[in-house]
Amino acid sequence: MELRVTERQDNELSIEIAGENHTFMNVLKESLLETEDVTAATYDMNPEQSGGQTEPILTIKTEEGVDTLDALEDAAGAITEKTTNLRNAFETAAAA
Amino acid sequence: MSTEPNSVADAEYDVTFIERGPERARFLIRGITPAFANGIRRAMVADVPTMAIDTVRVVENSSVMFDEQIGLRLGLVPLSTPPGEFEVGESVTLSLDVSGPDTAYSGDLVSAEDLVQPTVDGVPIIDLKEDQRLEVEAEAVLGRGESHAKHQGGIAVGYRHLQRVEEVGDLDAYDAEESHVLRGVIEEDGELIATEEFDHDLRERYPGKELAVEDVPDAFVFHVETDGSMTVEELVSEAIGSLEARAAELREAVQL
Amino acid sequence: MMIPVRCFTCGSVVGQHWEDFKARAVEGEEDPGAVLDDLGVGRHCCRRMMVSHTDLVDIVAPYQ
Repeated sequence: MELRVTERQDNELSIEIAGENHTFMNVLKESLLETEDVTAATYDMNPEQSGGQTEPILTIKTEEGVDTLDALEDAAGAITEKTTNLRNAFETAAAA
Repeated sequence: MSTEPNSVADAEYDVTFIERGPERARFLIRGITPAFANGIRRAMVADVPTMAIDTVRVVENSSVMFDEQIGLRLGLVPLSTPPGEFEVGESVTLSLDVSGPDTAYSGDLVSAEDLVQPTVDGVPIIDLKEDQRLEVEAEAVLGRGESHAKHQGGIAVGYRHLQRVEEVGDLDAYDAEESHVLRGVIEEDGELIATEEFDHDLRERYPGKELAVEDVPDAFVFHVETDGSMTVEELVSEAIGSLEARAAELREAVQL
Repeated sequence: MMIPVRCFTCGSVVGQHWEDFKARAVEGEEDPGAVLDDLGVGRHCCRRMMVSHTDLVDIVAPYQ
């Protein structure tokens, strides 16, 4: 997973996440929106036909004084928490 | 049992099996968001890797089919793939040697690796007549569904909202005639009922009643089938693991 | 030619049921729908793979 920051301001970040598609980006976007102090989050898959760009670009906006990269880190951590919880719940049900 | 949407971030998931077999199952997950549900579905179809024959060395093929047709048919035969045993790109050699008059079946494939075996033995590959012979050596590779459908472990993977059905009154005689078809799983006072039980027609179960049907928020009924390369439980676990690995990788990349 | 290994639409493996289906419903007298139910071929995408298939190997056999 290669990251490349394409635009960065105080409370706004655009970052290219190479090698990912809707499977992960949509989960990540939703996790960001649930993260505190994130005011906006979206991603653009930009289909190949629209001019070369194929890697998804994630855009995050945060509240004043909150670092966008910290928010991204928190959101990624929240996904890990969700997957762990879901796996536990699934395995408990499967073992029953 | 509470079915209201919880605050999603700290929601505890609740999983209930409705139908369960090694290669086919239906289960309800409560407390899951649509994006997460879809992420798991997509991961099951395109990201969980399975073994499939990818390269075929043809020693002799005097059958009526071309080498590449035989190659495609061999590729589509599902091979058992115990999760975690192989890396993506790793390969296993299989061979097949059948002389006519006879039919070459998927079960005639001889694998060099005990863990990787055809999961279905009775698939006819090619019917061989007198003096025809098929001898091949094949390389099975661990790959993902996104590269070729033969590497797709999950078949017909999908989900539907759980539906809550409530009686709200009586119908007049004319409306009572109309059927009310619904497919999936319904919830009636917390009890789960598959719509097969009443032939998918709510009128069979609630004759003459006026009903209120609504989607239960954040409750999805998954239908998962596999091609036999692994069990449903392994497939779901692997799909969750695939999302988890990517989240961990992202977190690490951001920290740097 | 030969029965496809998998269903074109959903990818479910159907090839192993062909010989049974052929013996019971194509050459035999049983009802094709009932035979498919019995074999566990439930979805209509998979069912059409069996119902619409014709074995042609025997016809092309002399030509190669």
